Amino acid sequence: MVEKELLARVLEKAMEKGGDFAEIYIEEKLTSNVLCEDDRIEKINSGREKGAGIRLIKDGKTFYVSTNDLSAAGLLKAAAVVNHGMETHSREIGPAITLSLQEAGFPMEFLRLPEQVDFAEKIEHVLKANNIARNLDKEIRQVTVAVGDMHKKVQIANSNGELIEDETARVRFLVNAVASRAGQIQTGYEVAGGVSGWELLNQVSLEDMANQAAIRALAMLSARPAPAGRMPVVMHSEAGGTMVHEACGHGLEADLVQKGLSVYQDKMGQQVANEEVSVIDDATLPGKYGSFRWDDEGSPARRTLLIDNGFLQGFLYDRLTANKDGVQSSGNGRRESYQDKPIPRMSNTFITSGGDEPDRIIKDTARGLLVKKMGGGQVNTTNGDFVFDVQEGYIIENGEIKYPVRGATLIGNGPRALMNIDRVGKDLGFGIGVCGKDSQGVAVGDAQPTIRIKELTVGGTFMTEGPQIKRIRRK
Amino acid sequence: MEGILKNAGEIALHAVHARGLEGEAFLMYDRELNIEVSDGQVETLQEAEQMGLGLRVFNGGRMGFAYSSDLSEKAIEEMVENAVHISEFTAADEFNRFPEGDQAYPVIKTFDEGISAVTIADKIDIAREAERAARAFDPRIKLVERAGYEDSEYSTLVMNSRGLYAFGKGNYCGLQISLVADEDDDTQNGFAFTMQREIASLNPKSVGEEAAMKAVRSLGGRTIPSARIQCIMDPYVVTRFMGLLSSSIEADAVQKGKSMLADKMGRQVASRPITLLDDGTNKDGIASFPFDGEGVASSRNMIIENGDLVGFLYDTNSGLKAGLKSTGNGIRGSFRSLPGVGITNLMLKPGLDSQESLIGDIGQGFYITEVMGMHTANPITGDFSVGAAGIMIEQGQLTFPVRGITVAGNLLRLLQDIEAVGNDLRFYGGKAAASIRLNSINIGGH
Repeated sequence: MVEKELLARVLEKAMEKGGDFAEIYIEEKLTSNVLCEDDRIEKINSGREKGAGIRLIKDGKTFYVSTNDLSAAGLLKAAAVVNHGMETHSREIGPAITLSLQEAGFPMEFLRLPEQVDFAEKIEHVLKANNIARNLDKEIRQVTVAVGDMHKKVQIANSNGELIEDETARVRFLVNAVASRAGQIQTGYEVAGGVSGWELLNQVSLEDMANQAAIRALAMLSARPAPAGRMPVVMHSEAGGTMVHEACGHGLEADLVQKGLSVYQDKMGQQVANEEVSVIDDATLPGKYGSFRWDDEGSPARRTLLIDNGFLQGFLYDRLTANKDGVQSSGNGRRESYQDKPIPRMSNTFITSGGDEPDRIIKDTARGLLVKKMGGGQVNTTNGDFVFDVQEGYIIENGEIKYPVRGATLIGNGPRALMNIDRVGKDLGFGIGVCGKDSQGVAVGDAQPTIRIKELTVGGTFMTEGPQIKRIRRK
Repeated sequence: MEGILKNAGEIALHAVHARGLEGEAFLMYDRELNIEVSDGQVETLQEAEQMGLGLRVFNGGRMGFAYSSDLSEKAIEEMVENAVHISEFTAADEFNRFPEGDQAYPVIKTFDEGISAVTIADKIDIAREAERAARAFDPRIKLVERAGYEDSEYSTLVMNSRGLYAFGKGNYCGLQISLVADEDDDTQNGFAFTMQREIASLNPKSVGEEAAMKAVRSLGGRTIPSARIQCIMDPYVVTRFMGLLSSSIEADAVQKGKSMLADKMGRQVASRPITLLDDGTNKDGIASFPFDGEGVASSRNMIIENGDLVGFLYDTNSGLKAGLKSTGNGIRGSFRSLPGVGITNLMLKPGLDSQESLIGDIGQGFYITEVMGMHTANPITGDFSVGAAGIMIEQGQLTFPVRGITVAGNLLRLLQDIEAVGNDLRFYGGKAAASIRLNSINIGGH
């Protein structure tokens, strides 16, 4: 990594013509991926990347320069470019900067770092999973198994004199199974991952995932088309947290709120959800996919209460937006890589558990849709309209799970859907994903208990004459 | 730049050859500028520079791949070691061969001196002008989230053990704006973007006005009852569906049985008005370049001609598998990824009718201006059910805005349902489309 003295010199150079805040982010990252498809190891890759991003803030304006030249000359040149962008030509003398290393709030341990696990072992797990899915039934026609991992070291130094040195690792598994019967194709997938080394295998079995994915693909072959219209929707905790991520998470990101692009602006302290509903963003959860010790601008990770029993309590802040509102960063300043400036992002976002027995919620539903697994989603934060798809759904009639349906898309409005949550289960289930915003993808976790929403629009396919509807989202 | 890239490539290939294997070095340098303006003020000014090498080795048909952004001799030596190690685990494929060096590259103008000549201050003004135009268009434009100018300049070099050597340089620029219109407690977003090969072709006023028009016309939208009715699709929405189709025209998907067009070569797969081609040499296309990610010469390839499926897109591997040549569609996102079959400029051939005349004889129909959640559609089967917004058509006239509905169906069926293609062809990034008219589509409302 880069010497502390050089980091200080680069910051001084960046501040040479003035500025309110300067920061340098150094990243060194190793990645690897193994892909099995068509019953063979098709691709393996391994990558090494390093680079620096230098940021200068002046009067709310951000100047950002990135390079992968980490030599002293390269970094100083980048610092000169960043302050070259300054419009004012004041002859202020920049401050002298002394950096002091910050202590992390909690430890993070990685037992088996990605580069310490040989490809031979990774491949063994991948092939085993592939065989399990393929051997389950001859209607399984194609299986994709992918494992990916990442290990990175970062240094973050800023003109406040703070220096952070951190390290993290992530491992991710994916299985996608394709089943076919009489010209009809259905897919099922399972994805799992965490901020972890390969010890993740102690918690997650790639073989079980393969089994689940194949079973789901087969089950959906005999599913009926989903009905369309408004109806009660029970979302099982196993479904993952796509709904909370889209229906409220994005709308609580402070940059969108401050720009007037959130349906939740001006709602602080007001009721925005049913009183049964509390929403939290927590980067400190051990091992979850969106967890970290420091955010990507060196603020300590936090647990932030966003909605407290229905009332809006907090937004997700990075340094820049926190400064604007005169509050402290909530530790949600994240970036995809050294090439991107940090912006407010979710970490692990979830609706907290309530008091209902999950089975009871289903039993008390006369008619509706049970969502067992959600796919991807999308939201328009300005008006709160969201849409996401259902990977695995069932029709509930008279409190009983009747038959599987496919092709359901759920459409709703964030605040309205949250107000309409009338039952909250005592369970909690996590999902993982890569969340995209401003062309930056970051790893997030999301979760919810089993909940019931009184009414959502289900866009089904009851009128379709041709092949039945369903869809896929490889997270 | 060519010298630095070539030097690193030679070190890598030399190390591969020393191990008795064949290799390919893909090198890239790029420099990007991004300016975001809000309320006439620069909010972010970002300059990024990166360089890197992606190395493929073939070891008796088994492939290894590694990349690095560190081009020091030591890092390159380590990368070669990694790629060779990996090649010992992957499955052998007799069609893993590098393209030969005897390529005839098309001459395409890919570099505009104007983009580098215009100053940063003037580029800021381009973004400001788009914002001004949007606000001036309608007083209900209350908020401009951002107006952004961007440009990118890149150098690409490919060299392999078969004597192939290709170097090229290109640039492009773009402008985008996203904003919000506000009236009677209803807020609607508007977005417009353009990407151009020449900075002189950027028209900030029209980009700003387009976004404003889109937001304002959506105000007061409501849902409608479920129905199966005629519809007009906006060119941008058409490009979204072309994106869904694109994986099915790629030969590797076809060969793996992951294409909805797999067994349909030579047959009619769309209605007669449809002609679709991929053209890596189009002079206006943002994706045009003399060669692809494997150094194979770019070309123009017909895919659907008057409704008949006539061709797929190939890279070297899938071409050899099919007993054909690469069509120059071995696409790479960056030095970090392997080449894979992909589109360059995917273009729908325009028809003769204006959008107005396509709408003109519809009694009751729906004009789709926006789709949400397209990534949830199934690229293998073509099944889709997506959120949509648009404008109702009654007696040949656009009437009231509609939101909160879904449109559902199957892409193959949709292709057969196209009655006409408009003459309003427009590029959206690497895809060009015109308005289309469908004889019917399923709308899920209340």
